[in-house]
Amino acid sequence: MRRPFRIVAPLCALAVICAAGSRIAVRAQETAMPQSAASVVKTKVYASLDPVPRGKEFQVAVIVDIANGYHMNSHKPLDSYLIPTTLTPQLPAGFTLADTIYPPGKNLKFPFSPDKPLNVYTQSVTLRLRLTAGDAAALGDASIPITLRYQACNNSACLPPVKVPVTAAIKVAAADAKSKAVHPEIFAAGSSH
Amino acid sequence: MSNVKCAWVLCAAALLVSGAVTACRSSSAKASNSAADFQPEPDVTFKNLEGADVSLASLKGKVVLVNFWATWCDPCRSEIPALISLQDKYSSKGFTMLGASMDEDGVKAVDPFIHTTRFNVGGQQRLMDYPIVLGSDAITDKFGGLLGMPTSYLISRDGKIVKKYIGVVNEQQVIKDVESQL
Repeated sequence: MRRPFRIVAPLCALAVICAAGSRIAVRAQETAMPQSAASVVKTKVYASLDPVPRGKEFQVAVIVDIANGYHMNSHKPLDSYLIPTTLTPQLPAGFTLADTIYPPGKNLKFPFSPDKPLNVYTQSVTLRLRLTAGDAAALGDASIPITLRYQACNNSACLPPVKVPVTAAIKVAAADAKSKAVHPEIFAAGSSH
Repeated sequence: MSNVKCAWVLCAAALLVSGAVTACRSSSAKASNSAADFQPEPDVTFKNLEGADVSLASLKGKVVLVNFWATWCDPCRSEIPALISLQDKYSSKGFTMLGASMDEDGVKAVDPFIHTTRFNVGGQQRLMDYPIVLGSDAITDKFGGLLGMPTSYLISRDGKIVKKYIGVVNEQQVIKDVESQL
């Protein structure tokens, strides 16, 4: 029994050393600055109806996945000098915007602000637009260009504010056309953050 | 060699390799923090808030800490008290701070900020009273590009970049670095 243990012990030590080494590597990656401010987020865009009948309100959701170790100011940061996250559509003819829904941020403290919390988005946040395609909206495929603006930081440094273009692809149908709700996992719930 | 000895030799080798890798990593982190060691300062000319030129060349003979910052950057704000202290302590010895704002709105954003925002420096409420200039992407490109703020460069009396700091400066470290150049 002793001999196998004497062999296994150093091998276990080797495994621990290797695991520690990989943890160091992961930590080093987490604290590295990205190549650009735009690379801190990944976006996905969804519409709530398919197709979108004229005159019926629908929503567009922009899911923003934020890189590990980073945060961005919420839409309502606690200090006026901070740059808020905004979502701005460039509406095609015939479309109207009823509202933009921003979920509340989280109040978190950071090493550079140990006493004063900041209201931020981390990990993933879903921003939504409430829209209507009116009678003047062209029937058929339509693209809605949207600009996501944010300013992100990690625990020790900030990236410049950046505008990231995204596009919602929808299909506009006649007012009496049949339409189905899609992506209920995104649109059925209230704000998701 | 027995299996036991073999296993321990393997373990010792792993320790050595791990130590070497860690040493390399820490020295590369240091190098990335001071990648620009002893490169000549870039030939750049800033504008101050009154619109006058301030070239780095005109500051040759002084030790300069060029600090790229912005009014909207909380980490930048957190280090300003330390930078005011540096200016207080070493300006009479041939050192100057040079705060280069990267605010998109330029003077419009920076001028009110430096005249109204006070910082706690040793119990006193102080304005950001060291020299402030306007930065730009063209200028930071000449420094090798700016990924985040704050980013600071320590420049020697003879115009060499001797250290680059990404993120909030460690006050004790920057004091040590400035003193080593004076």
